[in-house]
Amino acid sequence: MKWLLLAFKNVGRNRRRALITIVITAVGTAAILIGGGFALYTYQSLQESAARDSGHLVLAQRDYFDREEDTPMALGLPDYQALKLELERDERVRVALPRLQFSGLISNGDKSSVFIGAGVDARGEFQVKGPFLKMLGGRVLAPPDGPDAPLEVMVGAELAKQLKATPGTVLTLLSTTTQGSLNALDVTVRGIFSLGVPEIDKRAVYVTIETAQKLLLTDRASQLAIYLDRTENTATMRDEILARHPDRAIRTWEDQAYYYVAVRALYNRIFGLLGAIMVVIVLFAVSNTMAMAVVERTREIGTLRALGTLPGQIMRVFAMEGWVIGSAGALLGVLVAVGVAGLSLVAGLEMPPPPGRSAGYPLNINIDGTLYVTAVVTVVIASTVAAWLMSRQAVRKSIVEALTHV
Amino acid sequence: MNAPTSRAAAVTLDGVPKAYVMGGNPVPALRDVNLVIDAGDFVALTGPSGSGKSTLLNLCGLLDRADSGTIALDGVDVSGLDSDQLTVLRRERLGFVFQSFNLVPVMSVYENVEFPLFLQGMPEAQRKGRVNRTLARVGLDGFAKRRPDELSGGQRQRVAIARALVKSARVVIADEPTANLDSVNAAQVVDLMRELARGEGTTCIIATHDPRLSDHRDRVVRLVDGVLQ
Repeated sequence: MKWLLLAFKNVGRNRRRALITIVITAVGTAAILIGGGFALYTYQSLQESAARDSGHLVLAQRDYFDREEDTPMALGLPDYQALKLELERDERVRVALPRLQFSGLISNGDKSSVFIGAGVDARGEFQVKGPFLKMLGGRVLAPPDGPDAPLEVMVGAELAKQLKATPGTVLTLLSTTTQGSLNALDVTVRGIFSLGVPEIDKRAVYVTIETAQKLLLTDRASQLAIYLDRTENTATMRDEILARHPDRAIRTWEDQAYYYVAVRALYNRIFGLLGAIMVVIVLFAVSNTMAMAVVERTREIGTLRALGTLPGQIMRVFAMEGWVIGSAGALLGVLVAVGVAGLSLVAGLEMPPPPGRSAGYPLNINIDGTLYVTAVVTVVIASTVAAWLMSRQAVRKSIVEALTHV
Repeated sequence: MNAPTSRAAAVTLDGVPKAYVMGGNPVPALRDVNLVIDAGDFVALTGPSGSGKSTLLNLCGLLDRADSGTIALDGVDVSGLDSDQLTVLRRERLGFVFQSFNLVPVMSVYENVEFPLFLQGMPEAQRKGRVNRTLARVGLDGFAKRRPDELSGGQRQRVAIARALVKSARVVIADEPTANLDSVNAAQVVDLMRELARGEGTTCIIATHDPRLSDHRDRVVRLVDGVLQ
């Protein structure tokens, strides 16, 4: 306790210098926490976006993900309805949604374009999409209320623009059936949407799964998208489902979230490097302060050693001074980071659209316990180690030399 | 540590030389010094500048090592001791008074005097009594909370003396303790050291140019060019 008190007093000797070092440490800590918090928010958003898009798990026939189909739906799920019922009996499964992936030509009579379509369960699909599906006009698809219900389509914003389509416009979908022949259906535009990626909005089409099956002349679905109550259950559920259905293939949202994986890898490097630079800055700032303190206090160190203080005890005081500076700086940095995170929520700032996207996203900064503890501990350790390293030169000098230091 | 060699001797130097290397050449500071200082003696170490007084004090105070020969402190041969063992010996048996006082500026008067006892591991309650008594003896009992920079030179040196004597050191090493003081304060400091040394039976070895100190001494040791006269 006495040593710690001495360390506190020593830190207060040159208040301006100590304050500058504390501020540098605080800025370093805050930069790590703000950068890390932003990266975590981005990961979380992308994770949610990816999971809402594909489902936490995607179940299909065994070779579906690895092999091209010779004819459409050759690797489709014939028993998807039974599977859906079975899966939804598990309370960890929120919903299992069948999807039928297909492609073809879409035409307004004057102009045709290639589309990539998804036949979806209109009862559940647009609920799970949440804010990641932006409706620009009309409404989302409704479940068909009978065999003679009108066939409807939702068209991506860019594609609608190309075809001059608005809600109510009649378009024709042309695709290859499961027998290899061509089939066409007239569909009415019910809504126009954007997924935030212009390249996808240029091709994307949603119809109900019943419409898609009618177009392709099939009763199968390509896959079942399984939405779980918690993302953390993904791996466990994958293993359990695979154990029950060894003849099926299953992929997690992360296996399919190429954008999320790429952004995470990029941000990990960028913010990892930023964090490392900040720690080095703290290391240098504290080293510099301690080096000056060691020089200024050389005679005093000689006196303390003459009085019977062991070199290790002197180094301990210096290390404690580094600890005091590091802790004060880290604490201040935490306050700044929390303030900035709070401000980002209140201010409602927007990030510009990332490359390949048409919409920006909120600039939010997560406050994550693990990140904060790790950053604070790292900064405090770096500061303590820097001070300890500098103190070595204080005790290397002979006592006689130290006592005659001017 | 070796067994005591003499009970009456506080410090013994036997055939001790010391040279410093300057510009690659050895410059002798002490030449085969043989000296015995008895326990309780008040010894003035005199000689012109550069005669080796400080070097001899540093050796007696275990702050430096001799090139050869034997040094015994309070009967203990210290020649073979390592750095930490010497530190412990200094902590337990030696007190120091420096020309520039060398008080720790961030510590109060009380804390400066208390520090050697803290190093010895003395319990706080015991330390408190000892420090207050010592401060009273040096006439600074009302100054316990002051910082060194709030004191005059004479008062600072009295704090330094209190710090040296608070642990009942067997030997006090003082290097020009009056050099930075005016005549009134210097006289007070000399009287105080003499009185405290007598009261405690502490051996004082004082390097000085001050004739007042020489007048109070039991013995004068004179050094010229590293040789005892």
